[in-house]
Amino acid sequence: MHDSDLVENGTGPRMSPSPPPNALPRSHAVRWLRAIVIAVPCTVLVLSLAGSAIAQDPTPLPTSMTASTPEPDGSGASAPPAPTPLVHPPDDGTNGCYACHVSIDDRQAELSTIWLESVHGQAGVGCASCHGGDPRSDEVTVAMSVAAGYIGIPTRADTVGICGGCHADVQRMRSSNLPTDQYAKYYTSVHGQKLAEEGDTRVAICADCHGTHGVKKASDPTADVYPLNVPQLCASCHSDAEKMEPYGIPTNQFAIYQKSVHGEALLGNQDTRAPTCASCHGSHAAKPPNSTEVVEVCGRCHTATQALYEQSKHSRLEAVAPRCWTCHGTHDVSNPSTELFFHRELPEYECTTCHDLANRKLRLQATQFENPDDRRCDTCHHPESIIYAQVDAIYRSLDAAQVAFDGAAAQIDEAARLGMIVRDARVQLTTARTSLIQAQAAVHTTKLTVIAGFADEAVAQADDVRALADARLDESTFRRQAMVAVLAIIALNIVILTLWKRRHDLELR
Amino acid sequence: MQRLQGSDPGAGGVVAWIDERIQARTLIGALLHVRIPFLAKTYYLGGITLFLFGVQLATGTLLLLYYQPTPETAYESVLFITSEVTFGWLVRSIHHWAANLMIITLVLHVVRIFFQAAYKYPREMTWLVGIGLLGVTIGFGFTGYLLPWDQRAFWATVVGTEIVGAVPWVGEPILELLRGGADISDATLTRFFAIHVMILPVVFAGLIALHLVFVHQTGLASPKRPDPRPREEVTGEPERTKPFFPHYVLDEVLAWYVVLAALVVLASLFPAGLEEEANALVTPEHTKPEWYFLSVYELLKHVPRLVGVLTPVILVVVLAMLPFIDRSREVRPRRRRLAILLGLIFLVGLVGLTIRGYVS
Amino acid sequence: MQVDEPIQPARGVGRRQFMRWLMGFSVVSTIAIIVTPLIGFLIPPKSSGAGGGGKMLVGTIQDIPPGTGQVVPVGNTPAVVVNTEQGVRAYSAVCTHLGCVVAWDPVAVNIVCPCHDGRFSPANGSVLSGPPPAPLPNLQVAVEGDEIFIVSV
Repeated sequence: MHDSDLVENGTGPRMSPSPPPNALPRSHAVRWLRAIVIAVPCTVLVLSLAGSAIAQDPTPLPTSMTASTPEPDGSGASAPPAPTPLVHPPDDGTNGCYACHVSIDDRQAELSTIWLESVHGQAGVGCASCHGGDPRSDEVTVAMSVAAGYIGIPTRADTVGICGGCHADVQRMRSSNLPTDQYAKYYTSVHGQKLAEEGDTRVAICADCHGTHGVKKASDPTADVYPLNVPQLCASCHSDAEKMEPYGIPTNQFAIYQKSVHGEALLGNQDTRAPTCASCHGSHAAKPPNSTEVVEVCGRCHTATQALYEQSKHSRLEAVAPRCWTCHGTHDVSNPSTELFFHRELPEYECTTCHDLANRKLRLQATQFENPDDRRCDTCHHPESIIYAQVDAIYRSLDAAQVAFDGAAAQIDEAARLGMIVRDARVQLTTARTSLIQAQAAVHTTKLTVIAGFADEAVAQADDVRALADARLDESTFRRQAMVAVLAIIALNIVILTLWKRRHDLELR
Repeated sequence: MQRLQGSDPGAGGVVAWIDERIQARTLIGALLHVRIPFLAKTYYLGGITLFLFGVQLATGTLLLLYYQPTPETAYESVLFITSEVTFGWLVRSIHHWAANLMIITLVLHVVRIFFQAAYKYPREMTWLVGIGLLGVTIGFGFTGYLLPWDQRAFWATVVGTEIVGAVPWVGEPILELLRGGADISDATLTRFFAIHVMILPVVFAGLIALHLVFVHQTGLASPKRPDPRPREEVTGEPERTKPFFPHYVLDEVLAWYVVLAALVVLASLFPAGLEEEANALVTPEHTKPEWYFLSVYELLKHVPRLVGVLTPVILVVVLAMLPFIDRSREVRPRRRRLAILLGLIFLVGLVGLTIRGYVS
Repeated sequence: MQVDEPIQPARGVGRRQFMRWLMGFSVVSTIAIIVTPLIGFLIPPKSSGAGGGGKMLVGTIQDIPPGTGQVVPVGNTPAVVVNTEQGVRAYSAVCTHLGCVVAWDPVAVNIVCPCHDGRFSPANGSVLSGPPPAPLPNLQVAVEGDEIFIVSV
């Protein structure tokens, strides 16, 4: 049959098709057959779509008790999917679940006890909030019934929605004074985006970091999310080659971090001021900061350094700008020194080192600085360039200040070793040290005048201190010489007395 | 012109002028012109200790001119002496080293007396006064150590007074008495200063006067034969003697010169240092008392507290009562094997514990 | 023999005189090495040092008007004096982080350590932000009229 007939003749929506004058008379059966041929494939299509939608969402919410809001849209880049709290009968202050499960067997008893001692247990957040079901009843068929909303163990894909059902609800979290942005943040993270867009349930979800039954406060030192424990927590997946293989992410970050200044401070000295993975990557919104974000991230703690950097030419460059990571690394940040200026041996310079072959523009590649030995000024600044002379001047200025300072400190130690009082010299050395540290920090401005200003001050102050220490050393030498003179006099006296004694002994005999 | 009798003494006549009035010559003569056993071997230890006390008296008085005994200013005043005052470093270093040497020579003196049995008849009282002097000297060391008020001084005193406080019954009251309260405070410093600068010197002077009078009266002991009791028959050859003055005195003065040389070397090469100022809120990592207390300190690490605290007390009492415990007449080592053995064991233990305490 | 006799006493007298001279030298030299340091010690040294009630003038109210602060040397240690609403306060100017000398920041109106941007409160020396782990130690201040003294560092 020709639908064009319908279109041509039809002026209203419900116009029944009038048979053409010359056509054979249609029977009712044929009309029904037409309807079936069209309707059945459409129905099958619709049903299979609905079926697959339901299959993906294994939480059969009885429509009469549905409390959720509209379906999430496909893309995770815009608003995050709405949280999906479980709906279940109120508990009326009872917890039949716990009462039963604590006496079933050892494993259940352990889980129940863990829950009771957890933050949720202490706050009266019961089993039904995550598992559904009716906590008032002690009969299994009622308590763990689908009608009461029981879902068993929540799947990985559902967990985030369930946690978010309470933790993204501002009203509900008001009494515990907890933030409610974790859910939204999570869906901006790499973990959340993979979960939402690709349905990848291998990514980290709430329970992976915070635990399931035994959720603890982040301020609890035994919690996995306590700052001192965060690196190991992230490493439990991110250092596992098998787990990271599908994503092509390296797995050596934790190992590198452990040896870095930050890692040693946090893990070695248990200093919670040091950054954890979450400090730079974010926790719920975990995503590696991009090149331009890095300065702000590092500058959260290194405020003075950021302020200095923003005075420099480097900060005003766009594409070829060296950032914090360029010279200091990312996970492997170590103590900087004047070694960061130049290579020991000059590197090989090729056009492609600095220029993009396609358009000959200058460019900065991250791969150039992977090797810590290449994190030097002269990786970009060729020895025959004008800027190189300035770099060299900065280096010399700093080196002179360091040498002067170390020399003064060594003299003081020598004087102290000889027993001289050096307290005033040590105190004066602190001013030289202040100037030296300021000079070193000023390197980030890349301005020779600023750096040399501090460095020269440091040299002058260090020289003053050295003069003090030298005076002490001279005094020590003088004392030793005087000691020898006095000893000579005493020895002379002993000799004279012995002679006199001999005379007297002789007379006695 | 006729010269009035006695109005114009002239050179050398000064002595005669004085002698005429107070018979000084006879007095001095009685003190000096005595005889000592030919075989006496004192190693001059007692005299050296007395010399060192004199040094302490002199240097201590000098330090007193600049030292300020309050917690706010004590440290600075000591720093001032050591760095600003001319020869201040020398006076302070000599005071520091003479204190250490004095304790060493005093202990050696006691050891000599013990091994030569010079504590026996008729020198029991001399010995008792001597034990008193030993206690006073240790007291000097203990109280003087706090005065610079640096971390080392402060915390060593905390540890030291705690040990005293551990003595049963009397310990706690004595601790409060020493500290001038429950904790070390400015009251402690004032007390220690008063004890160190007035009380102990007066007591020491009194005791040393008695000690010297007793020594003069009994004479020096002979290491070969005991003093005869009154009405006892003297057998064998009479003891050979030699004059105290000038022979023995000259040897003594020579020994003093050697000790002076040692003091000069020690003060110049190892001057007395100063750590950071005392801070009651910061305990330094390795607090140890001064070396002469290390044996007790080390002992306390190995035995129960009560035993460790009472042992020195009991030993001192035994030491004091020694002339009354050991009543035999023998003075030669060969005839006093038990005493010699016990003495050696005690000495080895003391030195061993001190060394152990030092290296640990 | 009479010929030899005069020689003996002469040598003996010479030796005795020499001995006397030696003894004199001995006595004098001993006294010298003792008295020299003694006299030196007794003469008061020039610098003020410990004493004078331990009070040191560091400035006037005109030098440090209310709402400002200044780093001043007290003896040979630096101190920071601030004139706050609650009165004049002083703290040790040695930063508790790594020992740099702090400075006064007139823009932020607080004490800043230029090394790592540690901030201290002028009201009580406590840490406002940055790496310092402990507050600046307090120093005793005495204000007499217009003059500001720091008492016994």
